Amino acid sequence: MKRWNLYTPDGVQDILFGPCILKRELESRIRHAFRLNGYLELETPTIEFYDVFAGDSGLMRQESMYKFCDSKGRLLVLRPDITVPVARIAATKLKDDDFPVKCFYIGNTFSFDELGGGKQNEFTQAGCEILGASSPEADAEAVAMAINAIKITGIEEFQIDIGQVDFFKGLMEESGLEEDAIEEVRELIDLKDFVGVEQVMDRHSVSKELRTLILDLPKLFGSKDILKNIDYSHIGERATKAIDNIKVILEILEDRNLDQYVSIDLGMVQSMNYYTGIVFRGYTYGVGFPILSGGRYDTLVSKFGRDLGATGFSLGINMIMMALERQKKLRSPEKEGCFVSYEEGARKQALEYCRQLIDQGIPAQIDFMLKGMDEGIRYASKKGLRSFVYFYRDGSRKEISL
Amino acid sequence: MRYITIALSKGRLAELSIDLLEGAGLDCSELRSDSRKLIFSDDKNKVRFFLVKPADVPVYVEYGAADIGIVGKDTLLEEGRDLYEVLNLGFAKCKMCVAGPKELEGCMDTVQISRVATKYPEIARMYFRRKRKESVEIIKLSGSVELAPLVGLADVIVDLVETGRTLKENGLVVLDHIADISARMVVNRVSMKMENERITALIRAIREQLK
Repeated sequence: MKRWNLYTPDGVQDILFGPCILKRELESRIRHAFRLNGYLELETPTIEFYDVFAGDSGLMRQESMYKFCDSKGRLLVLRPDITVPVARIAATKLKDDDFPVKCFYIGNTFSFDELGGGKQNEFTQAGCEILGASSPEADAEAVAMAINAIKITGIEEFQIDIGQVDFFKGLMEESGLEEDAIEEVRELIDLKDFVGVEQVMDRHSVSKELRTLILDLPKLFGSKDILKNIDYSHIGERATKAIDNIKVILEILEDRNLDQYVSIDLGMVQSMNYYTGIVFRGYTYGVGFPILSGGRYDTLVSKFGRDLGATGFSLGINMIMMALERQKKLRSPEKEGCFVSYEEGARKQALEYCRQLIDQGIPAQIDFMLKGMDEGIRYASKKGLRSFVYFYRDGSRKEISL
Repeated sequence: MRYITIALSKGRLAELSIDLLEGAGLDCSELRSDSRKLIFSDDKNKVRFFLVKPADVPVYVEYGAADIGIVGKDTLLEEGRDLYEVLNLGFAKCKMCVAGPKELEGCMDTVQISRVATKYPEIARMYFRRKRKESVEIIKLSGSVELAPLVGLADVIVDLVETGRTLKENGLVVLDHIADISARMVVNRVSMKMENERITALIRAIREQLK
């Protein structure tokens, strides 16, 4: 019984003509921008071994991945992300003197309930990775590339928030909290649940100065001025280094004239799975989810056998499409192309004309319904073509702009 | 200036929420009027409001269709949405509890519980999985959950307990306390960034009244 033959599975969508044209255009503009900046494109398989994403490293939650088996019974997944496969490539396919490598990808990823797709299970990601560079310059380059890419999509009002995972980790080291309590605090800060953080602090003995700072963490976001108000005397070396790192990156972004797009969020602790340094997310109006996320991931590549600093980001193309639509910035595709029809007996001329247009690079299509001129004009206007040409038996022709 | 949208839970939470919003200087007169409209607005402050079923508030806020929501902690726990929980408003207080027949009192750890009736299947599942490391059968009901243990549908129930009167009258007792519940203010993650100043000002104005 074919009960499901009319439907697509949950969380996936057909993308038809108009939106598909716009999506491809968007992708090609982004591709062009990445290339202009010296990034090289690569493609990774849609399916990977489960162990690449899970296994010992435990990068992704097991229940968020689509799983199935190959012919030998080994567990496979539809890739939930492309950064991890790129890390696999960096460790196994590239040579020592290849680095640093700047690469990019545009491809579909699959995940249950992933933020980047806005609750879609299949979504397109376009991302850049800088492999083999540990400098703040490389991080600033990644942020700058991200800003550049958003601008190219046509979104004008947006914001990039920068955090640093070592700031939170450093504070937690200083606090002496146990692992369970740290995870609890992380979750509460992530929710900006001020009351919850206070309750945990009340249960543990943490020095007064540090306690105040941890309680303030959910509020530590906004312009870079918040960095000035932090009392550095109690936060320890690791957290201090994290702040210095953010400051250097901000300086570089100022030199690049991009600082107006950037703000700070030291309470950004949600995406720690493989990040080791700065983390950043992009926001805009109209969609309730981030349109991009990225950061430094210095330990990811070593999980595949090579010690390598790396940083990068990925844009959610579907989210950006949604934002453009909500912000009414999606222009409908321009009228283009010619519809060629003919009277009985004029087929050869019509076909010849149509072919000439196509050879010149002008989109053209031949009428094969042949229901007369009026019907032809109606059809051509409905399909958004720009002109209609009708050939008569006597060799003459009539052109109509639509 | 863009409109900030606030989703309120229909019912008694709405009344109390409106008092707070008015106290924060918003004009809720349209909301108070007996209108059939679905969206109300305060054009001076550029704020819109709408009333939806409590369980839908976190959904609207997560997707960004509303920037801010006011909803009970029970709904937030049950829905498990990705939101900022910025204020405990302190009203509509009660407790999420496991309750059952008196015989089970004090021996929850020795007795094998196999069936749990509740209006909150997610909360019940999390509690039994995380805290008790047990896999139990969760039976979802829509109301009068107290009936379930009395007629043998379930061993225990997971439900909100306010005064405990309904439990007592039916010979049930609280066996364990899962969470403290009260009304919360939640904010969409992106809105918190993009409209930081206005939303923070509103949070501050409401927090002032709670003191």
